Amino acid sequence: MSELSFLTAEYDFDGNDGIEKRGIAVELSVSGVVKNFGEKEVLKDISFQARSGEALGLLGRNGAGKTTTIRIVMGVFYPDQGEILIDGKPINRKKLRLGYLPEERGLYPKKLISEQLLYLAQLRGMNKADARKACDRWLDRMGMSEYKNKKLETLSKGNQQKIQLAATLMCDPHIVILDEPFSGLDPVNAMLLKEVIQEMIDGGAVVLFSSHQMNYVEEFCDDIAILNTGRIVKAGKITDIKRSYPRDRIEIQSEQSEKLIPYLLEKMGGEIFSADTGKENHHTLLIRLKDASAKNRLFQTISQSGFDIDSFHVCEPSLNDIFVEYTEAGI
Amino acid sequence: MKHILQVLKFEYFSCIKSKAFILTTILLIATILFMTFVPAIISAVISGSEQSSEEGKQPVIAIVNHAYESDETVREAFTAAYQKDEIRISQEDLESLKSKVKDGTYEFAILMETPLTYTYITKNNSLMSATDQTVNELMTTIYRMTSMTELGIDQEQAAQLLTTRPAATTITTDVDQTKNYFSTYILVMLQYIAIVMYGQMVSQSVVSEKNTRAMEMLISCAKPSHLMFGKVIGSGLGGITQMILILSVSLLSFHTINMDNAFTRQILEYVNFSLDTVLYAILFFILGYFIYSFLLGALSSLASRSEDLNTLITPVMMLYVAAFIVVLMCMNSDQINGPVMIVCSYIPFTAPIAMFVRIVMSDVSVIEVIISVCVQLFSIYLFGMLAAAIYRIGVLLYGKTPKPSELVKLLKEQHKNRQALKKRQS
Repeated sequence: MSELSFLTAEYDFDGNDGIEKRGIAVELSVSGVVKNFGEKEVLKDISFQARSGEALGLLGRNGAGKTTTIRIVMGVFYPDQGEILIDGKPINRKKLRLGYLPEERGLYPKKLISEQLLYLAQLRGMNKADARKACDRWLDRMGMSEYKNKKLETLSKGNQQKIQLAATLMCDPHIVILDEPFSGLDPVNAMLLKEVIQEMIDGGAVVLFSSHQMNYVEEFCDDIAILNTGRIVKAGKITDIKRSYPRDRIEIQSEQSEKLIPYLLEKMGGEIFSADTGKENHHTLLIRLKDASAKNRLFQTISQSGFDIDSFHVCEPSLNDIFVEYTEAGI
Repeated sequence: MKHILQVLKFEYFSCIKSKAFILTTILLIATILFMTFVPAIISAVISGSEQSSEEGKQPVIAIVNHAYESDETVREAFTAAYQKDEIRISQEDLESLKSKVKDGTYEFAILMETPLTYTYITKNNSLMSATDQTVNELMTTIYRMTSMTELGIDQEQAAQLLTTRPAATTITTDVDQTKNYFSTYILVMLQYIAIVMYGQMVSQSVVSEKNTRAMEMLISCAKPSHLMFGKVIGSGLGGITQMILILSVSLLSFHTINMDNAFTRQILEYVNFSLDTVLYAILFFILGYFIYSFLLGALSSLASRSEDLNTLITPVMMLYVAAFIVVLMCMNSDQINGPVMIVCSYIPFTAPIAMFVRIVMSDVSVIEVIISVCVQLFSIYLFGMLAAAIYRIGVLLYGKTPKPSELVKLLKEQHKNRQALKKRQS
């Protein structure tokens, strides 16, 4: 029971802890960024935008340039060309609070958890009293209060991950960059993290979310930017991207699917490219039309047929399919 | 600046709370206390046991005289030297003397074979005891007195001749090197150990931050240069804390110790830390520490694993060992103000040791000291800037350690991008 209690724990997001509240909506743009390491071109003209209250999914295969892009946003690397803008002006990292959860997790294994959380929060500009409050609040939120005065190395990997998340989010950042935040978390902790991220988004933070787990990306992100070999190969709203695909694949659920095929071929043979029952489920009927415009006619034909139909819907490509399509061409 | 202070505080407390720090401090202080107090304790125990035997009966010194016709001169001489003891002139043989010394009947015994040969029989020959020297002096005196009397000089005159010594005054136009050689040696040694120790501490802590990937988090909170300056200064303050602790314990123990002891008196004669020497030692430790630890910190940031660390920092360490050896050789060959030392006191890598030795062991003009300190301060600034640039590249570089030529290329590129970015922003 206590394991679950933190899920309902009240979290005072805009708590009056003397921390400056996140200001009005901002837009973060990465504009024409080019970065070479020696001879190697890592980023070739990267541009994308992310707004407060929204999460942007930064996708790409290993080595596509995601981490380099993130580091340029964080100000760790200088871009060779291009710049990072906030509302059209060059970013001033002293005025904005940035929270970054690196993919390579790590803090001081031999130091007390409270000690390192306080240190990092103070480095991010909090005063000691605020840092203490935030530390207690976040440890409580993560259900880790009992570990406050334990050494980090004594914790399990998942719990260390939660500590790292607390360290990232403690300063109430304007811009949150999460690199694979869900790796290593059990389903209960993943749920907790989802809640926390959603709160961050609702609270008006700009969230950059980098992950290979597409289901999480679809869950949080309105927009995505797919990187491949140092370029943005696709960017925009997920719904728009999906809609941009021809809507010529239809999935029908019916107990009578096997009888339905000959019926449909007889009625609309000229307009159907292929019709098969699903490999795993014989009640699923997959139809590919020669042209998407025949969709409504197909629906009418079926509804008039008198067959028992459970569902009829257009198959959209999954984010996974889109990702593979745009990045398959290789590194 | 705020970041540097925060990192500094964190690193300082990490440093002084570390097991290595606590252990070395305790060990060094224990060694110093041991070295200063143990001789005093031993001699106290010895004199205590002497006193306890005195309570029962007077200690007896046995002398067998086969050398002179008269026993009187011998008795007189020994009585004068050992007023509390009973001087017994006996006729025993060596074996009997030995057994009686062993069972404690005699404090010690002397078997005088000829005027110039004798056997000194004692139970324990302690380093702290000066009895054998006293006996030797007595024997010499007895020989000379007897010889002079035989030559016709009366006893009083002879005694006067033997005890009169010329009064000497030594005027040293520079610094008396005999007096401060050992103290300088000890301080140079301490400085050497401290710089090696704290330089390596910085190295280790940089590599472990990289290894544990704590750097990934830190780098998103503060500038790499701030992280490095904070770390170097923090560990340096840790070093100074340790030095001050050790020096003050040794000064205190030297001054509270029972001075009336042959061994400690001897030490005190040679080891003599004056306040300005200690202050100079701390100043040059600070300068040397920064020169070396900036380089070590920057080079360590290029290592991805602790195994790569040695290859990277060995050249710097060798440089320091070489500097140390050159200075010691000059110290030992009376070349303290020789051309080598003068040149060394203006080269940043050798100056912290060379200039310190010259100041303490010779007379150096203020201008020379100021120039040397300025050269060192300027190189600290240069190395600091260079180290910050290397650090920025190094901390996020995993895998193969870059070759020097690659590093130069990366540095140039970084500098170019930084300038371009500044230009764009202004």
